[in-house]
Amino acid sequence: MKGMLQYVHGNTILHKVPPLLKLLIAIAICAACFSTRSLLVLLALIVLDVILGFIGNIGRQTLRTLCSLCKFSSIIFVLQIFFVTQGNALVTLPLGVRITDEGLRFSAMICMRLIGATLPLTVMLTLTRLPDLTRQLVKVLHVPYKYAFAFTTAIRFIPILARDMAAVIEAQTARGVELDGNFIKKLRLLLPLCVPLLVSSIRKIEAGAISAELRGFHLRGKKAA
Amino acid sequence: MIHLNGVHFSYEGREVLSGIDLDIASGEFVALIGPNGAGKSTFSKLLNGLNKPTQGTVTVAGLDTKKARTSALARKVGFLFQNPDRQLCRSTVRDELLFGLELCLTDKADIQARLDKTLADFHLDPALNPLTASRGERQRVALASLMALTPQLLILDEPTTGLDWRECMHTMELVTALNRQGATVFMVSHDMEVVRDFAQRVLVLNKGRLAADGTPHEVLRRTELLSDAALLPPQIMQLSLSLGANYDDIDTCEEMTESLIRRRLEK
Ligand SMILES: Nc1ncnc2c1ncn2[C@@H]1O[C@H](COP(=O)(O)OP(=O)(O)O)[C@@H](O)[C@H]1O
Ligand SMILES: [Mg+2]
Repeated sequence: MKGMLQYVHGNTILHKVPPLLKLLIAIAICAACFSTRSLLVLLALIVLDVILGFIGNIGRQTLRTLCSLCKFSSIIFVLQIFFVTQGNALVTLPLGVRITDEGLRFSAMICMRLIGATLPLTVMLTLTRLPDLTRQLVKVLHVPYKYAFAFTTAIRFIPILARDMAAVIEAQTARGVELDGNFIKKLRLLLPLCVPLLVSSIRKIEAGAISAELRGFHLRGKKAA
Repeated sequence: MIHLNGVHFSYEGREVLSGIDLDIASGEFVALIGPNGAGKSTFSKLLNGLNKPTQGTVTVAGLDTKKARTSALARKVGFLFQNPDRQLCRSTVRDELLFGLELCLTDKADIQARLDKTLADFHLDPALNPLTASRGERQRVALASLMALTPQLLILDEPTTGLDWRECMHTMELVTALNRQGATVFMVSHDMEVVRDFAQRVLVLNKGRLAADGTPHEVLRRTELLSDAALLPPQIMQLSLSLGANYDDIDTCEEMTESLIRRRLEK
């Protein structure tokens, strides 16, 4: 979780590719993931993502992201298996629950799509300086600066949120909230903890907006009076 | 109470603490000082099991922090974070205190008694919303929710930063009161006056090691060692050191005044 989406400085080819092109490649890989139904192609796309990570000299980080994505999708995988009932039953559990070959295939596809679509975006964003991306969005695509700025700021908030969440979990564990238990229990305990997270994010956003205003953000794009 | 044996700690391969041995007895009031980024917060988190040593052992209240669950340690160890907002998650002071109490205790009558006593001790309005209160009040609520549990060990990470003098004194008095009842206090602080006035023992953390360990009177006088750790003694101690000879044993303004008057009378 830590350091996710944070820009990693480097001198590789991928760092030099124009930000928009990088974003385009990432979106293309995402699109490919959602248009194919072949597990083999999906696997190839995921491998491609990892290779891109290694080219950008963030191989280890990419593998770590892949690892946490795998953990997350394994939960989805398990849930999904039970909802698909078409196909030939491989195992029949009590209460009429059947695990089918079609179910397995479908779950695997959903999970691999999820991984294959998330990974290129994280790799590309890690290799792109956000101000560069903002500049290109404005210059090349003629997106109004306000929106381009909002977009890149939102992306920048993700790692901050992740760090804050880790800190809140730490603080609440120190008080005796047992977050080292099972998943369902953890989820139930985590929900109220989102309050401090929300409060601190809103405070940060407010502070960010004020500081942007103070530096003359609203003057931008208007003719100097 | 606290026992560290050959403790090393690293974040993802980067060593922050390298080889720390330390014993703290029950009932001591210990202050930890050091430059920014020295690892003071990291050190404190070793003491309640949030950080596990990469090498060596940490024993707190008879529990090995590597084996014990952090939530089990939470019953004995209160930890006030540098940023109290992380700890607050309820919309009234009353609920906040109850939340903390119910996590660790089960006896209803006991919980109610502790709640009432804490509200009174801390002069807190039970209906106040901690999330919108001032920084000083938020800090006070966070501390109150810890002290309500009368922990055996209280860890404070920069408890007086951002507080005005009155709030600072009030906080420190409450902490001292708990200490007098037998609790051990471990405090990280940048305020040398607070350290001098309240701590019985001072540790200096610099470059991953404990550079000094002694009474405030001894340690805060070692100017070279302190300046190496980007610290300055309290001004009155600097003055007493530069006056030398008859004055260099003085720690506080009161002692200085007394000594000056006495000397004048002698003349
Ligand atoms: N969760 C973390 N992950 C990685 N590095 C950290 C983390 N927390 C602190 N550090 C690093 O460890 C060092 C010590 O930090 P900290 O204990 O907060 O210092 P202090 O409290 O003395 O100012 C710093 O260099 C900091 O960047
Ligand atoms: Mg700190």
